[in-house]
Order: sequence, then structure tokens, then C-alpha cells
Amino acid sequence: MLSLWLRRLSTDRIARSRECSAPLIVTGKRGNAEVLTAVDDAAERLGLSPGLALAQARAMHPGIDAVAEDAEAEAALLESIADWCLRYTPLVAWDTPDGLLLDISGCAHLYGGERELAADLSGRLEDAGFAYSLAIAGTIGAAWASAHYGEPASYACGEERALLAPLPLSALRLPPTTVASLARVGLKHIGDIADLPRAPLTARFGSEVLHQLDRALGREHEPLTPRLPVAPYVAEQRLAEPIAREEDVLTIIGRLACRLQFALERRGDGARRIELILFRTDGVVRRIAAGTSRPLRDPDEIRALFVERLAALADALDPGFGFDMARLSVLIAEACPPEQIGLGGGEDAAELCRLVDCLSARLGARRVRRLTAQDSHIPEVAEAALPAQTINGDAGWHAFRRYREQIELSPRPLRLLTRPEPIEAVAEVPDGPPLRFRWRRALHEVVAAEGPERIEGAWWSEHGGPARDYFRVEDKSGLRFWLFRAGLYRDLAQGAAAPTWFLHGTFA
Amino acid sequence: MIAQLRQRLLALQRAPEIKHGPGTQPLRIPAIDAVLGGGFIRGALHEIAAAGEAHLPAAAGFALGVARRSAPSPRLFWITEDMGLVESGAPHGAGLDAFGLAPERLVMVSAAHRRDLLWAMEEALRCRTNDAVIGEMRIGGIDSVAVRRLSLAAAESGALALLLRAAPPSDASTAATRWIVGAAPSAVAHGPAAPRFAAQLVRNRRGPVGSWILEWSNRDEQLILTTHAQPVAATAFDRSHRQVA
Repeated sequence: MLSLWLRRLSTDRIARSRECSAPLIVTGKRGNAEVLTAVDDAAERLGLSPGLALAQARAMHPGIDAVAEDAEAEAALLESIADWCLRYTPLVAWDTPDGLLLDISGCAHLYGGERELAADLSGRLEDAGFAYSLAIAGTIGAAWASAHYGEPASYACGEERALLAPLPLSALRLPPTTVASLARVGLKHIGDIADLPRAPLTARFGSEVLHQLDRALGREHEPLTPRLPVAPYVAEQRLAEPIAREEDVLTIIGRLACRLQFALERRGDGARRIELILFRTDGVVRRIAAGTSRPLRDPDEIRALFVERLAALADALDPGFGFDMARLSVLIAEACPPEQIGLGGGEDAAELCRLVDCLSARLGARRVRRLTAQDSHIPEVAEAALPAQTINGDAGWHAFRRYREQIELSPRPLRLLTRPEPIEAVAEVPDGPPLRFRWRRALHEVVAAEGPERIEGAWWSEHGGPARDYFRVEDKSGLRFWLFRAGLYRDLAQGAAAPTWFLHGTFA
Repeated sequence: MIAQLRQRLLALQRAPEIKHGPGTQPLRIPAIDAVLGGGFIRGALHEIAAAGEAHLPAAAGFALGVARRSAPSPRLFWITEDMGLVESGAPHGAGLDAFGLAPERLVMVSAAHRRDLLWAMEEALRCRTNDAVIGEMRIGGIDSVAVRRLSLAAAESGALALLLRAAPPSDASTAATRWIVGAAPSAVAHGPAAPRFAAQLVRNRRGPVGSWILEWSNRDEQLILTTHAQPVAATAFDRSHRQVA
């Protein structure tokens, strides 16, 4: 486990964005007072510390540079650092508000060992201008404790006890009240409580103390919650020379996809969602994901998918000084059966899937849709257009046809408006079809009407709406519409609102 | 060298080949098939424009009627612009089903720009599994290069390419045919009868033009020619025929 603590995240963020020479402090409102939330090294030497009132700090040192805090920008910065840390391990977890936890087990040898990995990480952080402290230990608790309270860059794998003993109790991530009450009885260091009888300690200070101690000492397992789901298949390539051209990126994708193919084939899986992560030399990370409509293994098809994705990027790839590492991970894998079950049968289905994938990659999965019949009698809910990549089979239409034959459903319009549009209509008799109506400012004289077809609202729900009487009407020029009157005149007596007319669709 | 270049230029400039024989798809209406030289040409672009924006559903109905005949159960791509979906509504599966088109064999694509629409249409036309590709355009022009690209893409796969336009276009076209379609009053008896279309063939690369009143026949799942085209007298004041339900 590697714990990384960015001691001066707030002030470093500001110092990176502008030139400042004076001692820097960050202020924010706590309760009703404007107080210091972070200080930089120079300000700390002047005796300022977080929690001090701004007025007091200004009185002590008029020359200080005070900047308002910006929690969002800080979170964004930490997020980008977390993204960047993906180059060391896919398992990166938050340690809010200003730290990260990296599970580097099994990854360190890629850099030649833990020390070398830490040296690489520290070198890059220093170049970027961050104050940090990091520690590697066998458990999360021990790594965290030595990063925050121990000697900088101490390595203790298997000797957590010796490492932790001299550290203060707050290194165990205990609430300040617990630490204070332990201090009152003279327990100040972790070593003080490590060998005490457990039962009285729990009885007096709660179970949390021993819980955290056990976790730090490795007696109890502490799970790490990675901020990103861990991909089942990953292939990555470090590049000696940064690449910048799109063709080169695609070549790398092809090569990585070849490697993924072996891994996928071995377990009989195919990729449903693939993510490309490009690490720029200056620390910026680009993540580009693409979905597929069927499990995919063929490197050429994966490459073709990213050709479209890269072409569709609103802002160009912007390689800056080049990418020095690329990683292709399969985010969602699915068993890939020997025969394809898709939109149709055989070779045709494969070709159609390719087309759907290509269009989805370029335009976005939500723009390429298929219709599904839903289990509802309300026209606008009876059908849903869902991304074509997610739908297989007949999508409920067989059931719909059976239902239509059973109840002899009256004709449905060819096109349905997204939401019914209100119209002004004049009807001959209150419950009859309209004589004429005005829709989008055009007046239509009705020459023929068929109906009503009553469709009840969802009366079991609060937002069900009134019953509707649908009419199929044709106007003088032969245009055909699907209108409805929401509400019934007979309900007027019970205090319901007056019925209103809507246009819901058009027939051919 | 120059001769070679000339030859290449000639090859590039040549209009896309219009295939004869098996490449046509008859409407099974002798009068129209004769004019079209056997029927709608597969692997070529056909423009179908609505007589006015209000007639777009009718033009879409006509296009679907033509597409219906492209295969026993055609696989259909319907590509629209985002604005088109808002203005005219999204294709409704139950309505398509009544038109003899299986909604499960329809893929809808919506494009944010005209450029994306044309690109998606071209990609869809290249795919050999599609029987018909309908591209629906709002008002606005389309340059001849785009039309040519679509024609070439259609020729590659032999799919029926239908370009649906919301208003009669004014630009010259290199499409195989251009139709202007509007709704026509149906044979009103008890409520609205089968939909009728006033279809006008205004451009035909293979011969004469003409205009017909067609009706969608649900029984045969195809367009048929109506025997009595327009009502002779306007149905002005006598409303006794109207059925009030």
C-alpha cells in the first residue's frame, strides 16, 4: 500500500497557477468567522496555522497573500492527480480531502521495485510543484500513519509494529475526541496502547480504537475501495518516445487490442465496453471509452471502433508534447458464445452490429436506437427507443402483436410527438370529435373522424392524468391526425378541470 | 501521363451507373413501373419531398410504402435530424407495424448536424444487410457532392436510398428520381379511410415524369392506384356524409 499525502494541496494549487512571493494563506468561512483553512510553508514559519481567524493573521502579518478557498477546484485537481496515478496502478482510492491511496502490490516490479516506484512518483510530483509525503507499508493504516506523522519516505513491510509504536495516536485515524480522552489518561503514542489489555480499553474508549489498531497492524483486513471499477482485462504500453500523431495512437491501440485478444480468448470472453487511457508527458490524462453491441475480440474491429471515436471527439486529441503511455482496458466483458446472438442471424447480424457500433461510436450510443414495446397501454409509454447496442432479440414486439390481435387495437399513428401538443378545438357535441382545430397556428377543418378510443390514465398513480378520448381525424387536404381530449365532461360536475384538447401524432 | 490523368478524371466524372434488370424494384403498379423503367432502381438515390411541411407525414408514408417492397421483411434504417424528431415526432412502432414494417427491424439514428446525417446515411448504405435507408432532412439544401456520395454508397450495397425532404427542393439533383408527395383526401365513408398520396414524379433519369394518386392498401401491403383520383366537386357545405361517433 502506498499512501500519498499532498500536504499543501490548496496552496500548491494557487502557487501553480500564478506567481506569488508573499506567504500564502487560503481562507474560508467556518461558522460566522473568516478563518485560515490552509497555509504554505512560508506562512507556517511565520507562526500562522489553519483555524486562525483571518483578521488576527492580518494583524500579525499585514503582508500575507490571502486567497479564498475553492473546494471544487481542489477536488478537480485531486481527481486529475488520481487519474494520473493510474499509470502506477489501476487501484487508486480517495483519501479525502488531500490524499490518495494506491494499491501497488504486483505493480511495483514494473518500475524495478517499491523504492524505484516511489522515487519515480516523488520526482514527478516535485517537478509539478507539489509538497507531498508518501509512505509504503503493508497495510493502509500503517502507510497512512507514516505518511502523515512518520519520517518521510519510510518503508516498512512486515514491521508495522516498530514503525507505528513511536507515532502519536491521531495517526490511527481516530476522532479527535477519542484521542483527547486517551491523552487524558496518559496514552499518547500507539506503542502505549498496543500491549494494553483489550477488554478494558474497549469498555472505556469504544471499539473503534482497537479496530483501527488491528487494521494498521494487519490483524484485520481493511478493504480498499478503488475510485474506478477495476477492469477485468488490461493491456498497457509504455513508450520510450512520446507519440503525438493520431495514426501512431491507432497503431498502439491495434497492438494493445492484439494482446487483449489472447487474454479474452483464453477465458472465452468478449469486450462490451472498452476504455482507452492516454497519459500525456505533462501529466494530463485522456480517457476515451467506446461501447459495442456484441462481445468483441477482433483487434481490427476494436481499432475501427476507436477510429470513429477519435474522429468524433469535439476537441481534437491534443497530444501536447506527446503521450508516453497508453492503456486499453476492457471495462465490461461478457461471455462470447461461438455463434452470435444478435439482431438477426449469422453473417448479416455481425455486419449490422459493426454498423451499429460504428455509428454509436461516432454519434453516441443514445443516437442510435431501436424501438422496444413496453408493457403499458398509455401511448407515450407503450414504446421506448433504447440504444441499439443494448437490445437483442425481438424487443417485445411478438407480445405486442398478440395483444393487438386480442383487443383489436385501433390504428396507431406513424409518428408520435414527444409530448402531446395543446390545440384549440371546437367540437359539435361535448363528447364528440372536433369540427375544426388549430395546431401550430394553422387551422384544420375536419372532414372525417373516427373514435373515440378511450384510454384511461394511470389512475393508480398520483401523476396518472385524466382519461383520454382519442380520435383519428382527417382534414380537408387529406392530412390525418391523432387527437385526444384529456378529461371527460361528465367529471365537470365533480369539480374536475374542463377538458382540453391535444394533438399526439400524425398518420401517413 | 496527361492522358492517364484525363482517363481517371473521366472515370470520376461519370455519373453513377444506373443498373438495369434485376436492380429494379417494381411497385407492382404497371403505370408507374413503366414510367420508371421497371420500378425503383436499387442502389440509387431517390428523393422524396413533401409538398409542404405539413405533408411530411404523407411523404414519409409514401417512402415507407416504397421501402416496404424492398424485401419480404425489410431491414430499415431511418436517419433523422434532432430537430426533425422534435418537429414531426419520432417513428411510432405500432404505426409502422400496421404499415407492414416490423419495428424490430428498424434502427433509428438521430444526427445533430446535416453533416452527421449524411455521414450516417452513407455508412448505413455501405452495409449490405440494409434493404432500405431513409434519410430525413429538414428544410435546407444539399450539395451535389453529397448526393453523389450517397448514390455511390448505395450502388456499393444495392440498398434503396430514400432521401426524405420536408419541402420541395429548388436545387438541381443528380438523384435517380425526385418525387413531390402530399396527402390526398381519402375515400371518406365512415371515418378516415386508407391513406392516399398525391405523388408527383418531377424528375426521372430514365424517362418521362407523371403524377398519380396512390392509396396504401393494408390487405396487399403495397401502394395501389386509385381509380377515381380527385373528388370532382368540393365537399363544401353538405356534411351529411360525416360520421359523428
